[in-house]
Amino acid sequence: MRSFLIRCYPARWRARYGDEFEAILEERPLGPFDVADILLGALDAQLRLRGHGVDTQHARRFTMSLRIGGIAAIVGASLIVIVIAVTGGRTEGSDNAVTIALLVALAALLVALTGMSAFQARSNPWLVWTAFGLTAVGTLAILIAGVSDLAGVGPADWRDGSLPIGAVTAALGSAAFGIATYRGSVLSRKGALSLVIGPAVGFIGAIAVSQNLWELGLPLVLVGIVSFLAGWFTLGVAAIRLDRTSAFKPA
Amino acid sequence: MERKIPEFGRFAEPSLLILVSLSDGPKHGYAIMQDVEQGTGRPMGAGTLYAALARLEEQGLIEPLQPVDRRRPYQLTAVGASNLAEQLRGLSEFAQMGLRQLGKTSP
Repeated sequence: MRSFLIRCYPARWRARYGDEFEAILEERPLGPFDVADILLGALDAQLRLRGHGVDTQHARRFTMSLRIGGIAAIVGASLIVIVIAVTGGRTEGSDNAVTIALLVALAALLVALTGMSAFQARSNPWLVWTAFGLTAVGTLAILIAGVSDLAGVGPADWRDGSLPIGAVTAALGSAAFGIATYRGSVLSRKGALSLVIGPAVGFIGAIAVSQNLWELGLPLVLVGIVSFLAGWFTLGVAAIRLDRTSAFKPA
Repeated sequence: MERKIPEFGRFAEPSLLILVSLSDGPKHGYAIMQDVEQGTGRPMGAGTLYAALARLEEQGLIEPLQPVDRRRPYQLTAVGASNLAEQLRGLSEFAQMGLRQLGKTSP
């Protein structure tokens, strides 16, 4: 009887669950309720596995966005840390390699933002996509300023280009993305908080520096940058961990 | 009540019971059935259990561990724990609303 009931399930289902299911059926004698329940379960499995290919593709795309986002966040944040360590934070007048490295890092963070936004958009879609839009526009403005500089067609003074407005927009977007991530409470909340605190503190520091309050402004800018990078790094690690536990395992 | 697990249909309630059962640690299928029966007073059939387990695993809410003597334990994932907390909060709010309304209409 047990053997007959298990054979009512599709072969792919039996390959995945057959052994453990058989072990459960051996635990106690089967009554009419059990037989009816198992036959309904077998019918459900037969019907469900017919549309399985579509579900599999959807689930793979879903986890892929999380994996790519996590890796990109770690790469982007690490690259910026390396650039700061190599240049001592003085990028003005440095060679093109430094600018290119920063642009690649920003592009990686943009990829991270896209992947994590796609993953989190099921909850708080309005907030997530607004944050994504703001940060993406800001980051693209920074990228355009950087590429113009590399091509030698940028303004003489960087303050006249799209860099300042891009940095402010990206900082606002990052903070909004941090809030959306914190509210979603699926990825790391510490990372999300860092992403909110970093741009806010950095922004205050930048205002202080612009008023020639260097002693106050510079440490705040540094704290802001560290917090921002730590936020992306932590979210990247959290995304990869989550991907490992939520990856779809085909039957 | 809008926070039910999506795409679970008639397996939404068994899925919630399974998630609650796994909330205090990994369990294999038969232990989950016993736990649910003990908690609700109603038996859960093996067919229902595995239909719900397959959905939960696909959605990444639970994950299988290495089997021990053909018994494969399952544990909550981080997403599963978050989803369970959200569902329980939703149910708690719904229960509180019901009790408040009952309090207003009771003689």
